[in-house]
This record gives sequence, structure tokens and C-alpha cells, in this order.
Amino acid sequence: MPSLSKDVKAQVEATRLPPILSLIEQSQLIKQGAEAKVYKSTLFPSPLCTPSSSSSPPPPALPVLLKHRFPKTYRHSTLDALLTRQRVTGESRALVRCLKAGVKVPGLRCVDVKQGVLGMEWIEGWSVREVLGGGQEGDELPDEDGEEEEEEPDDVQEMLKGLGVDHDSLLQAVGAEIAKMHLAEVIHGDLTTSNMMVRLLPTRASPNDPLFEVVLIDFGLSSVSFLPEDRAVDLYVLERAFASTHPVSLLPSGEEGVPHFEQVLLGYKRAVEEKGKKGECSRIEKRLEEVRMRGRKRSMVG
Amino acid sequence: MVKRAARPCPLQAPTKPVLALGLEGSANKLGVGLILHSPPSADSPTASTSSSDPGSVSILSNIRHTYVTPPGEGFLPSDTARHHKRWAAEVVEKALASAGKTMEDVDVVCFTKGPGMGAPLQTVALVARTLALMYNKPLVGVNHCVGHIETGRLITASPSPIVLYVSGGNTQVIAYSQQRYRIFGETLDIAVGNCLDRFARIIGLSNDPSPGANIEKEAKKGRRLLPLPYATKGMDISLGGVLSAAEAYTRDPRFRPTNPPKGKGSSTSAEDPSTIKINGKTGTAMVSQEERRRRAAGEGPQASMQDVGLSTGPKKVAKVQLEAGGEAVDVPPPAEGEEDIITPADLCFSLQETVFAMLVEITERAMAHVGGREVLIVGGVGCNERLQQMMGIMAGERGGSVFSTDERFCIDNGIMIAHAGLLAYRMGYETPLEETSCTQRFRTDEVLVNWRA
Ligand SMILES: Nc1ncnc2c1ncn2[C@@H]1O[C@H](COP(=O)(O)OP(=O)(O)O)[C@@H](O)[C@H]1O
Ligand SMILES: [Mg+2]
Repeated sequence: MPSLSKDVKAQVEATRLPPILSLIEQSQLIKQGAEAKVYKSTLFPSPLCTPSSSSSPPPPALPVLLKHRFPKTYRHSTLDALLTRQRVTGESRALVRCLKAGVKVPGLRCVDVKQGVLGMEWIEGWSVREVLGGGQEGDELPDEDGEEEEEEPDDVQEMLKGLGVDHDSLLQAVGAEIAKMHLAEVIHGDLTTSNMMVRLLPTRASPNDPLFEVVLIDFGLSSVSFLPEDRAVDLYVLERAFASTHPVSLLPSGEEGVPHFEQVLLGYKRAVEEKGKKGECSRIEKRLEEVRMRGRKRSMVG
Repeated sequence: MVKRAARPCPLQAPTKPVLALGLEGSANKLGVGLILHSPPSADSPTASTSSSDPGSVSILSNIRHTYVTPPGEGFLPSDTARHHKRWAAEVVEKALASAGKTMEDVDVVCFTKGPGMGAPLQTVALVARTLALMYNKPLVGVNHCVGHIETGRLITASPSPIVLYVSGGNTQVIAYSQQRYRIFGETLDIAVGNCLDRFARIIGLSNDPSPGANIEKEAKKGRRLLPLPYATKGMDISLGGVLSAAEAYTRDPRFRPTNPPKGKGSSTSAEDPSTIKINGKTGTAMVSQEERRRRAAGEGPQASMQDVGLSTGPKKVAKVQLEAGGEAVDVPPPAEGEEDIITPADLCFSLQETVFAMLVEITERAMAHVGGREVLIVGGVGCNERLQQMMGIMAGERGGSVFSTDERFCIDNGIMIAHAGLLAYRMGYETPLEETSCTQRFRTDEVLVNWRA
């Protein structure tokens, strides 16, 4: 009886979670970011990408990060669905655009707009915020069965320093990566030190090769633009994030050194000078100054 | 994460009780309050609840007089200043009387230095200077925003929250770090209170008790979520576009200004001299300049002196802690085949839902970035229960909680100025007479918060 079996099938289907959500169920919750919960999971590479001959063993499963923009019950469901859809598609488009242009971002692995899930390359490393320290207290989830295995930032800092990664070169690399992103006409929209990661590079062919790279993440609020105004606002957002969380680096003597953001700007300008159009850098700088003025003058009437 | 040794609180418990008089008048509310900071008594455990604030605090009086403008109108600086001038003496007297104190008992006079409207600020500063000179008392000029934050911390006993400051003139997400209240996000154009108040005026809602309160009431009857621009930029937001889009709906052919009275043609209302056209629709007439002045002078029907009440301890004050997964919006959607119209209630509902979602989102971003779990909502818009509810759900989903105060403290009042001023005074700060001028622009992060660790 075909109708009956169809009924049963439909019923079974109805009780089953959508595939991506059942994958999430089996994954490890890493943390809750600004709008999403992020999980660590594994996926096998697509057989289309790695044609397997019968002789070679199957490729190993690779770690992926699943970013779930779960339904936000505080806001109206219509608005919530709309925002989630916009952000998931926006983020995947920006990732692809950056990947094509050679900007360091996580590779895109899967997209499920309906469920609000994005799968991307797992970046083995630390957020820049963790490396720099700062903030009020931890943003990790409450301790649950040793769920978090994050190193203390002091340890991370010590370890990176031991490898020869100092704050200044890290901050300049941050600036350079943002410059590459801007030259790819992507505006991030939410540049904070939580939204960029540092990962160590495995092998070095020559001692002049970099030890690490900066990977930009979290493109949910990104847009496409090449206007100096939009780029300047993007930088200004980051400047304020630095000012509020980690304004200056402390010298070994305990004195205050150059503001962190100055180092970022140095790396940014150098990269735009090198790869951008003539005069592009000074146009952005000029705009940044104007955007700063606007911020200071912003009316603050009670 | 960063393990910081708990630094000792720089604020010492007072050795004897200190009494502050606070004067606030940066917008249309004139508030005067008296607050007493006392040495911790041996048997009271209250001091231990807020380690950042040794000693015990009692609010002795909290009196407010509000300048209520006619429907459709905002308050002008000159009229507001006139209102404050008219009522200052009476409100101060009432505050002293209900606290059972005289000016001789007062140790320090605190006033709002800014930010706010120039003329009203100056009027109240003049009152403060006069009192200080007459009774030979020191003065402390207070940042209005810091006043809100410190009072919120006091009332809710939340030691180090992420603060959402939402009022008629300000919209900021703030977190404390290294002796400053640092601004993480803010509005790039108009403040949220301003946005709501202006919209209330566009649709002709009453300003009594406040336009925002009437929007909230109206929104409860709304049933359709109309699309409005949603503009968060990182931790900042922009509200100008939302307001103009909401206003544009009032020109939509589907818009019905109010529920038309049954059996009456629309022509009758047009003949009524008290109604005029607002945006091409019928509405209530604007009131003449004379009438406005009359109200500013406090002779209007709605002006009133209010004893906004006291609180004896943090525990007695409303503390919102909603559970996650609470019912978000509880309105029946329009029925099938129902006439496709837009009501003022629908617009209020849509405006609130959209704007508050933006506020909650930027607060959540700040929480994620800074790592805080507690949110404190301060400022006049903080009274809105829908905003409190939404924030509660968000915080609940992050394993945190929300604190807010009711209209006694989230609406501008004298206590907030007295309390923040007294904290500074106890750290040895006084504002010399020649520096007691006011400033319309006074950013929250300009103040050195040296009473916190
Ligand atoms: N590809 C990745 N690999 C490893 N960790 C990641 C990756 N993407 C994000 N994370 C971690 O998860 C956190 C939240 O992710 P993010 O994309 O910023 O989400 P949200 O929008 O919620 O902030 C980041 O701050 C980072 O620590
Ligand atoms: Mg993020």
C-alpha cells in the first residue's frame, strides 16, 4: 500500500532533525559569540574534490567549525528569520569574496540558510583578544564537564613570545590583513579583536618567512564597498574596540607604550601603499580623521 | 582568562554620615533628592553585598516635577528653563521637608553639569550655586550619565554590569574598565528616547506622563510587524532611518490615524476646530504659544509635583530576571481576510520591536566582547517593560541576568545626582565655584571614576 508507507515515511521525517542540526547535536560547543553558538565538528572532504582511487586510503575527516545562528526568542520571529537569513548569506558571500582575493579567512565548507548554520574551516589558534588579554572577565561558557580547554592568555602570550611573535608584529599583521580585505572591496562591519584569530604556520622554508598569520572571521555584518568613507568607519570601529578593551601595550618597565591601534594602522597603511591605487591610502587616512572628529563631536544631550 | 587580583576599593567607608542634596534638570524633569551615606553599622550586613561601596546608603527623599507639553509638541529649552525656575524653590523645600532635614544638615550640593539642554542646565546650576553660597556648602558638578549608572548599581546591587543607557538624549552601551565608564557602542544619529518621543508626537499621542510610556501602551495593541530598516553597525546603531520609515507609514493609504468612531463620517471631525491635519490625516490641534508658556509656568492641567518615593534597600527594588525562552510577543496576528490597514498601534509595535531588537543585539555584542554576564538598563527608556523583557531573554540565553529600576530611578531624578556626586565628594573632589558652568556635551568616558577599583 503505497499511501500508507508514504504516511509513515512522512511521520518519520517529521520527527527527525534537519541533518545539519543533528550534526550540531553531536558536536562540541566551543563558545557563544556575539550572535551565534560555535561548535567543533568533523566533515569528510567531498569526494568530488579528492578523487579517490581504490588504492589510496580514504582521506581523513577534517575539523570544521559550525556556526549556528540559533533562533533568538527575544525578538519577533519574522524579524529574527529575516536577520538570520541575511547574515548567513552575507557571511558566506563575504568569505567567498575574500577567499578569491587571497584574504586570510576560514574556507567555506557548508551553508544551511534555513537553519542558520554555516560550516567553515577550523582555525587552530587564538583570537587576538585572547592573545592581547583585556576585557572584564572570561567570555567562556560556564565550566561544564571540562568543556573548555582554553589556555590562559598569559600562557598564550608567553608561548608566542617564546616563538618570537611580539605584539607589534602581530598588530601590524592585523592591519595588513584588514588592508587586503578592504582592497578586495569587503567592509567587515564588526571589527573587534574577538573577530580575528592568530594561527601559527607549520613549516618555514626560510627564516624570513612569517611565523604566524592573522585570519579574519565573523563576516555577518559585512558589506561590499570601495568607498574611503566605509573603510574609514570600519577602521574607526576597530579603533574604538581597542580603546575600550586594550588601549596601550605595557612596556617591560611597566610604562605605557605606543597605542595598539597605531601599530595596526601602520601595518594597514604599509599594505595599502604597496598594493592599493595611488593616493588611496591618504584618502582613507583623511576620511578616518573626519570620522574621528564626527565621533568626538557627536551630540551628547541628556 | 585574565586573572586579576581583586584590587582594593579606593572608596573608604565614611567615618561619619554625609548628606548630599542633588539637583537635576538637564531635560524636562526637575528633580531634587537627598541621600545619606553612613559608616557601616556593625550589625547590618548590607555593606557586604556591594563590596565596591562600603558603608550604607539611605535615600531620604526623591521629589520630581515634570514639564508636560501638549500632545504633538516637544519641549523647548527656553520653556523648560522657565519651568525649572518656577518650581525650583518649592521642589527643594519639599525634598528637605520630606527628608526631615534643613539646608544646615547638608554636607554637599550636587548638580548636573551636563550633558543636556543648555538653558535648563544653567537654571538648575544657578539654583545649586545660590544654595551653596547662601549656606556655605561645597559644590560637586556631576555627569548625568554617570549619575544614572551609579544609581542603577546602587539600587540593583549589580557590581559590574554592562550598562545600556537609553534616554531621550543618549543611547550607549557602556562597560567599566580602568577607572572610566567606556563607551562600546552608541547611536550614530538620534537617541532612542528621542526617536520614540518624536514618533509619539507624529501620531499625536499624549506627553502625559511621557510620550514613551504612551507608545508602550499603544504598542500592546499592535498586531502587525511592518518592515522597518534595521541598522546595527558593529556595536553602534543608527535610528534616523527607522524613524523616517515609520513616519512614512503614516502617509500610506492603508494608514488609519485612530479607530474611526462608528456611524460618524470623517467630515465631522474635519469641522471640529480642535483637530487639524497631521501628515494629511486628521489629528489633534497644536497648542498655541501662550498655552505652552502657561504649561511651562506650571499652570497646565497635567503639571504636578511628585514624590517619587524612596527605597530602603536594594532588595526591595524591582529586579527583572526573566527566564530564557519566555513568550516573545504575545499578539494575535491579523485574521485571514481582515482589512489590510495600518493602525498607530501597529506602528508603535513595529517601532518598538525593531528598535529594541537593535538595542538588545548591541548589548549582546558588548557582553560577548567584554565577557560580562550582567546587564543593567538605565535611563528613561529603561522603564519600558518590553525592552526589559527582551533583554532578560537575551541575558538568560547567555546564562546571565538583567537588572533595571522602575520609573522612580530610571527617569531623571535628583537622587542620581546626589549619589554620584557624593561618591566623588568622598574621594575628595569638589567643583570650585568658577568651574560650575554647564556643558551641553559631556561624554560619559570623560569622567575619572576614581571611587571604583
Ligand atoms: N573558523 C574558526 N575556527 C576556530 N575558532 C573559531 C572560528 N570561527 C570562530 N571561532 C571562535 O568562535 C568565536 C565566535 O565566532 P564568530 O564567528 O565571531 O561568531 P559571533 O558572530 O557569534 O561572534 C570567535 O571569537 C572565535 O574565538
Ligand atoms: Mg564574533
